[in-house]
Amino acid sequence: MILALETSCDDTCAAVLTPDGEVRSNVISSQGIHDRYGGVVPEVASRHHLELIDAAVDDALARADTTLDDVTLVAVTRGPGLVGALLVGLSHAKGLAAARELPLAPVDHLHGHVAAGALADDAPEPPFLCLIASGGHTLLVRVDSAREVSVLGRTLDDAAGEAFDKGARTLGLPYPGGPALERLAREGDPGAFAFPIAERVGALDFSFAGLKTSLLYKVRDLGEDAARERATDLAASYQHAIVEALARRCERALAQTGLRALTLGGGVAANGPLRARVESLDAHVAIPARELCTDNAAMIGAAARAVDPLAFPSYLGLDAYPSGGSHWPPA
Amino acid sequence: MTTILGFDCSTPATAVALVRDGEEPLRARHVPEPGDRPGHATQLLPLCNALLERAGLRFADLDRVAVGLGPGTFTGLRIAIATGHGLAHASGTGLVGVPTLEALAAGADGAAVLAVLDARRGEAFAAEYSDGVPTVPATALPPQALEIRARDAVTRHPSTLAVGDGAVAFRAVLERAGCTVPPDDAEIHRVDVAVLCALARDRPAGPPEAVLPFYVRAPDAQPARSSRR
Repeated sequence: MILALETSCDDTCAAVLTPDGEVRSNVISSQGIHDRYGGVVPEVASRHHLELIDAAVDDALARADTTLDDVTLVAVTRGPGLVGALLVGLSHAKGLAAARELPLAPVDHLHGHVAAGALADDAPEPPFLCLIASGGHTLLVRVDSAREVSVLGRTLDDAAGEAFDKGARTLGLPYPGGPALERLAREGDPGAFAFPIAERVGALDFSFAGLKTSLLYKVRDLGEDAARERATDLAASYQHAIVEALARRCERALAQTGLRALTLGGGVAANGPLRARVESLDAHVAIPARELCTDNAAMIGAAARAVDPLAFPSYLGLDAYPSGGSHWPPA
Repeated sequence: MTTILGFDCSTPATAVALVRDGEEPLRARHVPEPGDRPGHATQLLPLCNALLERAGLRFADLDRVAVGLGPGTFTGLRIAIATGHGLAHASGTGLVGVPTLEALAAGADGAAVLAVLDARRGEAFAAEYSDGVPTVPATALPPQALEIRARDAVTRHPSTLAVGDGAVAFRAVLERAGCTVPPDDAEIHRVDVAVLCALARDRPAGPPEAVLPFYVRAPDAQPARSSRR
């Protein structure tokens, strides 16, 4: 069995997979507490990971109806993410593996999101495209095999999930902004306001900073009362711009590469209108279940199958790496 | 024969010891170069493994793991304690947490000890011990408050000894209050993990997840720039 741990942000996650990649359990312990701060507080997240990780591991083993005696590989997220948070999972995983002299597979968080696509019910065989959109990352990758991946485009500024969170804040919605904005947008007209979708940004890259500013100006120009009255239209139009920016890049990438299949990963892949829009593309589209789109350890275990595991004791000195320091995909 | 592996990452140093009944304790320590970050994440388990190899042992041979609970650097405490959780979780070995200031005081071997660790941001973590028993619990103190705390200690015990990297950092304040502070390079200022292991030896080991840091300070409630999800 593969025991996988993921603590890169504010979800304390553990999962058990069979060696051939079947997910036996996928435990996600969401901390919730960050909502009151309007964002993830790194120190608070790290403290909670330490309190929750033992129980998450026990729970994952119990739900998989197995014990540590059956574990043959420990997989863990090494980065990118909040370093203090990552170090709780990494230290725990190294301790677990060392006590039993098990091999350890260090996994890149982004690799995990790509691997989650292979856990979708109707997952395509490579080659395919994968769009990863979350609060920290937005990139479009080409997957030629579990080990051969190349980045075709990435955001030049904000991540798509960050655009959701910042837009939600502008509209006075609580954190996390994505689900709140999606709910508000349901009653609104996506064509009411024309927000930029960064069509001029080159190739397959993304940009969401202009969109965020555009919403800010629109709200200011409307004035407080009118902005409140038209909040549903603002939310729907803003969401539409994000969805279009993502979907059109996917469409362009499919045309450029001639590939016929696409998977989605990252928390933004849980967005209903994005899922619907992408499913309308002329391609085989596979979107994993929501709990495999947001941060989870099952995807880390899945990605570990394409990583060369480190034998004991070579991993004992392994360090985490922060945001922006992604070691994946290998050049 | 009881075999105890202990470690402490509450200061910038990564300190490890292996203690076996009737044998001289083995110790290892990594101290970062001035200006460098602590090496807790990269040094802790390699140092542990090196001591085990010297003793011809493996992690599976441990009877107990002892870990310093701080107070100290938040990330360092979590690296040490998460590592302890993982080791104990996977091996069924008992995990015992010992307040780092208590280990520091026990190593000082004085009747009245003010154990002081550098808390950064111009403050010190200090706790008072009388014959190894805590008499005033740990708090984070700015220099003026530390001086008042030290004067109180000296009033009760004129021969109060102040030890720890915080005693070195706040030497002037502590000496003004009447404490005795050993020379800067004295070993007594360092956390001796062999002492920590000795304290852990006779304490009950509970469930690993109940072993948590002694933060003393509240977290800074600043959200991250973005919320990676």
